[in-house]
Amino acid sequence: MIKVTNLSKSFDDLKVLKEISFDVNKGEIVVIIGPSGTGKSTLLRCLNYLETPTSGSVEIGGICVDAKKNNNRQINQLRKQSSFVFQNYSLFANKTAIENVAESLVTVWKTSRNEAHETAKIILIKVGLEDKLDFYPSQLSGGQQQRVGIARAMAAKGEVILFDEPTSALDPEWVEEVLTVMKQLAEEKQTMVVVTHEMQFAREVADRIIFMEEGYIVEQGTPEQIFENPQQKRTQAFVKRALKQ
Amino acid sequence: MQSSFDLQYIIELMPILLKYLGVTMEMALWGFLFALILSLSLALIRVFKITFIQHLAALFISFFRGTPLLVQLFILYYGLPQFMPIFIGMDAFTAAIIGLSLHFSAYMAESIRAAILGIDKSQMEACLSIGMTRLQAMKRIILPQAARVATPSLMNYFIDMIKSTSLAFTLGVAEIMAKAQMEASSSFKFFESFLAVALVYWVIVLFFTRIQHLLEHRLNKAY
Repeated sequence: MIKVTNLSKSFDDLKVLKEISFDVNKGEIVVIIGPSGTGKSTLLRCLNYLETPTSGSVEIGGICVDAKKNNNRQINQLRKQSSFVFQNYSLFANKTAIENVAESLVTVWKTSRNEAHETAKIILIKVGLEDKLDFYPSQLSGGQQQRVGIARAMAAKGEVILFDEPTSALDPEWVEEVLTVMKQLAEEKQTMVVVTHEMQFAREVADRIIFMEEGYIVEQGTPEQIFENPQQKRTQAFVKRALKQ
Repeated sequence: MQSSFDLQYIIELMPILLKYLGVTMEMALWGFLFALILSLSLALIRVFKITFIQHLAALFISFFRGTPLLVQLFILYYGLPQFMPIFIGMDAFTAAIIGLSLHFSAYMAESIRAAILGIDKSQMEACLSIGMTRLQAMKRIILPQAARVATPSLMNYFIDMIKSTSLAFTLGVAEIMAKAQMEASSSFKFFESFLAVALVYWVIVLFFTRIQHLLEHRLNKAY
């Protein structure tokens, strides 16, 4: 499904990602954990080419884009294979909840407006927002906005949904409702790559956990392996600290 | 000789001036429409940094912001026909509309560009993330939001443009300023004539200020 090969990213002299390679299978839920500033978000953004990698390649759903040799059309094709849930929701401010969700169907997939709104409505009901269809983002709470964000990503027909710290910007009271929606998706075997600091969620939901530090993948494995029997010293130190909280 | 203020004259002059208001408003509306199209194009060229023509756009903006409107109108109407035969047949009314739209498009382009750049870049990222192209994102998400930001300053330019149509009388366009000038020279009631024309402009501007508020209210619906 996803194949990342020797992916590197530098901001000027700062190397944020160093020759990262990993695969994600269809239906797999991969959670990326690690200390702040180790390139987790940058990695996720590179998968969607919101950030252009310096070298290496990203392949999703059969579309492969090489950092050194690509064009806008290829990048656009790659982006259609995945969708993105942002830390700060980034809902379209000029569109209602249902329009936000329907947008990709109307503009990218050329579905008729009525049909797109039908689909969008079904998805919004699924995330528990049937009574907020015609609300603008500014009229929704953080938790509701993020659920619209997830609904928008679900509608976009991508093979995989990328989550970039989806609960970090939320007040504690809204975290649970967003995690519930994500768990629901996990149960439906939606392929997901999630960057998060929610260790409990990682432990419960992930099929595989990738631990990153300073631009490298230090260790990866099942939640049991990473949380109960980490092999690397740095993983042990991080897990010990994280679980204490 | 000192004469007394003649209110009756102003009242009688009003209907005569209002007959020419159509010409004034036609210049302003056409001028603004063309300025809007041109300034949006200029702004997009600069935002997308389209190679080569972005420098032409910058040069265009620099010239039309850097020189007086009156000078531009004179170059256009009296100057250009000297070298370019296609301008010989151009009437003063057309020249005024062209001059106004070129001049104001330079200012408006900068307002629109600033409004576009002011939209949080996460909005563009969200568009790209669901597979939209940059152009689709601009059309569906960024420009509608930028329109809201740019409306107050664009309406300001429109109001300025209405008033600037008065310069067209120097090209010989028979609009309200020209008529007021004519009436003043024949009646010698300069103060009353020019006060009358000032009042007409003022009322028109008040009317469009009201429209602006309604428009802003509508555009603020989502916020």
